[in-house]
Amino acid sequence: MIGFIRLAVLGVAGMTVMYFLLSIYSRSVERERLEKEWDERHPGGGDAEARDAYIERGMQEYERSLRHKLIWLVYVLPTLAVLLLIYLTNRT
Amino acid sequence: MRYVKWTLISLTVLIVGAFLHYTLPQHDIVRIVNTYQERQDLNDWTRIFWATPDDQSTGLINRDVQFIQAVKPNGKPMVYRNEDTGWNWPPYFKFDTANLQTKAEDLKSTAENPKWVVVTHYGWRIVFLSVFPNAIDIEPVEGPDVTIIPWFNIFFFVFLGILFLVLRRMWLQFRERMIDPVVEDVSDAWDRVDERADRVRGNARGLWARFRNWLDTWRGRPRI
Repeated sequence: MIGFIRLAVLGVAGMTVMYFLLSIYSRSVERERLEKEWDERHPGGGDAEARDAYIERGMQEYERSLRHKLIWLVYVLPTLAVLLLIYLTNRT
Repeated sequence: MRYVKWTLISLTVLIVGAFLHYTLPQHDIVRIVNTYQERQDLNDWTRIFWATPDDQSTGLINRDVQFIQAVKPNGKPMVYRNEDTGWNWPPYFKFDTANLQTKAEDLKSTAENPKWVVVTHYGWRIVFLSVFPNAIDIEPVEGPDVTIIPWFNIFFFVFLGILFLVLRRMWLQFRERMIDPVVEDVSDAWDRVDERADRVRGNARGLWARFRNWLDTWRGRPRI
């Protein structure tokens, strides 16, 4: 039982670290994409405030998107992998 | 310095490689000849090679361990231990030791009438330290020459490669977005300070300034 608790605690800790790293990375990529999109449409730079508003709106849209929610798979997939391993090792 | 660097790199590769070689599953084609159970002392450093099948086993100084004796197609003997790994390291989640022992018992055969099996196991056989690999699974096979594709290891290394690439990409993104702009700001500011100092020094150019000027030509800056 102690072994199980240790595995669960370490596993959740590891997956949480990975979750935060991935969401920071994904957000950063999305922001960069929005910035580049704006700069492409406004070769002169455009209005700085409008640019910020555009990026902010894009980021809010991203928060609701499927890609953002898919990061939760970081918790789902390793758990499924462990269940699969338990099944494969102990089936008769 | 170069020797130190290469020694450290080869040591790291060696340790990581040995660790993976010990921990990842391997397949042997053998013929099972017998099984036995023997009390093992666990009170010295070779304890690290034995599993901790349940919580109380961490406190025991000896306990019974089941073994599977086998013979390889080339006639050499091979002995496996058969222990639960439970929820502990390595993460095989093996709980079916008793079933596996029964299976091994059932597949016993003689040299005259061999029944070949593939034993999936991890660990090393070190004769001098009485270290045995831990058998994970036993499956009957056609003969001693069948090809076994190590699917688990293929998936594992592909996954490890993907993980490495993802982490590298993350780091590059972080550097591009967070570190580079700061460094650029700092180096811009530094350049401005440098320029002003050069201007102030302009009239009173000594040997040092001229030397620095000459050094700068190596970095592609024109001589002032």
